[in-house]
Formats: sequence, structure tokens, C-alpha cells
Amino acid sequence: MSQPDTESRRADDLDSYHVIDCDCHYMESFTDVAEYMDEPWKTKFEGSNFDEKGAKQNLSSFFPFSTGDRQAHGKITREHSSYPDSPETPERIREGMSSIGVDETLLISHLILAGAGTTADDTRQSAFAKAYVEYMSEEVLDPDDGIYGLAPIPYADIDASLEILDRIEGSEAYAGACFVTAGATPPLGNRKYDPLYERCEDMGLPAVFHTGGAGLDEYVRGGYQEMLETHTLGFLESNMSQIVSLVVQGVPEKFPDLDVAFMESGVTYLPSLITRLDEEYLKRPEEAPLLEKEPGKYITDFYYGTQPLEVSADPEFLEKCVDMVGPEQLMYASDYPHWDYDRPTTVIDLPFLSEEEKRGILSENAAEVFGL
Amino acid sequence: MSDGLVEVKPDDAFENGDREFVRVDGTEVGVLQVEGEYYALQNYCLHDGGPVCEGKTHRKLLGEFTEPGKRVERTYTDEECVVSCPWHGWSYDIETGDHLGNGDLSLPTYEVVVEDGVVYVGDLKQP
Repeated sequence: MSQPDTESRRADDLDSYHVIDCDCHYMESFTDVAEYMDEPWKTKFEGSNFDEKGAKQNLSSFFPFSTGDRQAHGKITREHSSYPDSPETPERIREGMSSIGVDETLLISHLILAGAGTTADDTRQSAFAKAYVEYMSEEVLDPDDGIYGLAPIPYADIDASLEILDRIEGSEAYAGACFVTAGATPPLGNRKYDPLYERCEDMGLPAVFHTGGAGLDEYVRGGYQEMLETHTLGFLESNMSQIVSLVVQGVPEKFPDLDVAFMESGVTYLPSLITRLDEEYLKRPEEAPLLEKEPGKYITDFYYGTQPLEVSADPEFLEKCVDMVGPEQLMYASDYPHWDYDRPTTVIDLPFLSEEEKRGILSENAAEVFGL
Repeated sequence: MSDGLVEVKPDDAFENGDREFVRVDGTEVGVLQVEGEYYALQNYCLHDGGPVCEGKTHRKLLGEFTEPGKRVERTYTDEECVVSCPWHGWSYDIETGDHLGNGDLSLPTYEVVVEDGVVYVGDLKQP
């Protein structure tokens, strides 16, 4: 943080590390995905006048139903990505990875992050997720070149979710299953989702929980005015609610061999959540009868993507947070090309990490979790 | 007192659910008769010093995961084996003193002996 960075210093530093990015977003378009949709969704989409604008964010950047523009109204640009307003092409993935110093990447759908808020009609989500899995598999993912995918799980529709898990079984291209935490009602510890965790556990497939912007503007209550408010609070809340639900309902005890990872809420919220939940648990342990240890100890069994890492925090505080979660549980994540993405240098620059811990966070932990 | 024992009261004066309080080496100890058995625990909750031995004694709720997608089966133990502090609900195994949620937190427990029809608190049990 404190020393001036130059492009060359960053390049020199990055060259000595192998970097796996656990959370990168490919900017697929509805047009590309629709080619793989089942009917009636394919016909409905083609008649919807959506065209490629599904990838655009400008419609929601100004009017009152949105608290703001992801690019902060023109401040943020991406030289090596089409983000935000155009579909991406597979050829540019490597360019984006190289530009920030990533060697292998796990791609998560960009559009599904918003779709998770569509709880009124889960068929729409399932149709998109199935088509996305086919599209990415056919046209984008390239495991031989270190480009993997996380398959979106439309968890509101258990049968469709199981079909997707069947579809990707044995596929080298898909390294995990992705549950978008925003919009999950009931929360993801509910028994209705057990068959999905059971299947993931059987397949040795990590369950990756990714927070998201679906419903962000009114994530708990309406009336926020700035994205600074809703993004700070909503991204945390979406992950926190699912972490608490998973743990209290005993998912780690039901499926002890399931690897669980949470993405995109940084790390400093975790000590707060751990201590808060443990404090309440000591007063009401009978409400979590499956637990064999304090809930916080399950939380620190989960893995966490580092982004957006709170690098501006007091280093002593951040060190304590990393220590409480465990550096062996952390995996570098960029969230590239989104507005608040992190470069691997956010990890390399942390003054309190050992070289071994840096290598673990930058690639080795992820390689083990995802079997890369 | 005899042989390091602290007298509580006659056995036949105890009724189920009764609690008595004595001081053992400067520590207040609660003596409880629960379903015919005697228990003695430190009457000072590890959380914030509440009068834990004045609290509710009750059965322990157990959960069993039978199969994915099914509700966790919740059943109570047959015996009342828990005492909970009335201040905030910290709950301890009445025999071992172990907190139900974290066995590293253990409320000191004491031996209880009945001699010649009188109930006494004996030695501090070693964890």
C-alpha cells in the first residue's frame, strides 16, 4: 500500500507467483446465451428486443430504481475488457488475465448475479443457467489453457439444479458450483437445498457462494440513495445471511466432505460475524442441535475469496482478521473486470503475510480446493 | 462439617427440584435435587456471574440428521441433565458442568455425599 508502484515493479513481483483467480467474470451477453436456450425461452428472448443489451448497465445507472452506476458515472474504465457495456469475446479473456497478472481463472457468470433476484419465476433462471452452462462449455471455457468455469445453480429449482450438476459431472471445464447468495429465500441452509449439497459432495465439487447485486437497492429496506450505501451493506448481508443459515442449520455436519467457499465480501466482516454468532450460540445452543462445535469454528472451515480486500485498514487489524479466518482458508479473487476488482498485488503487498502464506492465497489453496 | 464435608440439609427434607446454597472454600455452591439425584455446581455463571443454580433444569434437545431434504429430527433426552442460567441462558450439563455449546467452558462441580441421612457437599471434582 505505502510504497509507490510502477508497472515494472508489479510485473516483476507478479512473475514470481503463480496466480489462480477464483472469481473472474466473463461478460456474456443474452444474445450469445440465448442460442443455447430451450424453448419457450429462446423464442421469448428473440422477441423481447433485448438484443445484446443484457450486458449493459446503463439502463439502471441513473433512474431512481437504482442507487447508482457501477462505473461511478464515467470514472472507471477497463482497457482489457468490454466491461461494462458490450459482450465479451473469449479471445480477450487471456488479455484481461495478463493485464492483472493471473495465470489460471475461474469464470462466474456476470448476468446470473442479477438474475438471482428473480424469485417470482424460477424457470427463467433455470433456462438461463442451463443455456449458460452449454454456451460457456462450447465457446468459452478452455481448461487446457487454465480457463475454468463455475456452473450457476438455479437453486430455487432443485430438479433443474440437479440436471446441471449431472451435465457437468466429469467435466474438466467446470471446477465448482456457484450459488448466488443474493435473493436466496429461504436461506441456503434450508433442508430443501440438501440434495444439491449432497450431489456436490458426492461429485467432489466445491460449493461456491457468491454475493451479488440482485435486489441490492432494496436488499432489506427501501430508500437508500447511493451505491456506496447499498453496495457496502448489501454485499455483506447477502453473504452473512447464507453463512449463518448454512452453519446454524448444520450443513457442514450433514455434508462434512463438502468444500464451501464464499466470494466477494472481503475478510473483515468475518471476525465480526464469528464473534457475534458464537456469543448468541452460547445463550441458545439448543437451536442448533446438529453442531458439534461453536458456529464460528465452522465459519473458519469455509474458504473465502479475498476480494474486495480491505487493504486500507489498519494493518494490525487486517492481520488479526486474516489470522482469525486463517490464511490457509483464503483464496485470491479478482472480481475482474468489475468496478472494485483486486489485482494479485493486493495480496503480495500485505506486510504481515509470509511468503508461504502468499503463495497459498495466490494459488495453492485454490489449486487444492478446486482440484486444479 | 465433618471430614471436609459441608452440610446442606437432611436428605428427607429435599424434594425434587429443591435447591440449597452453601459456601465451599469461599465459593457459593448450589445443591440441586433433580429427579432423585443430587448435583452440586458453582453458583456463579461463567458468562457474567449469574446465579446459574437458581435456573431452570431441563432435558437436552438432540438433533439427528436422518437423510438429505428431511427435517432434522429433534428429541429430548429422557433425563433432565441441563441447568440454564436465568440471566442469559448459558446452559450446562448438570453432571459435568460442561457448557452445551462449548465444552472448553466448564462450570466447577462438586461431589455430593449423603451420610446418615444428611446431604453434604464434598470435594471439587477434578475436570
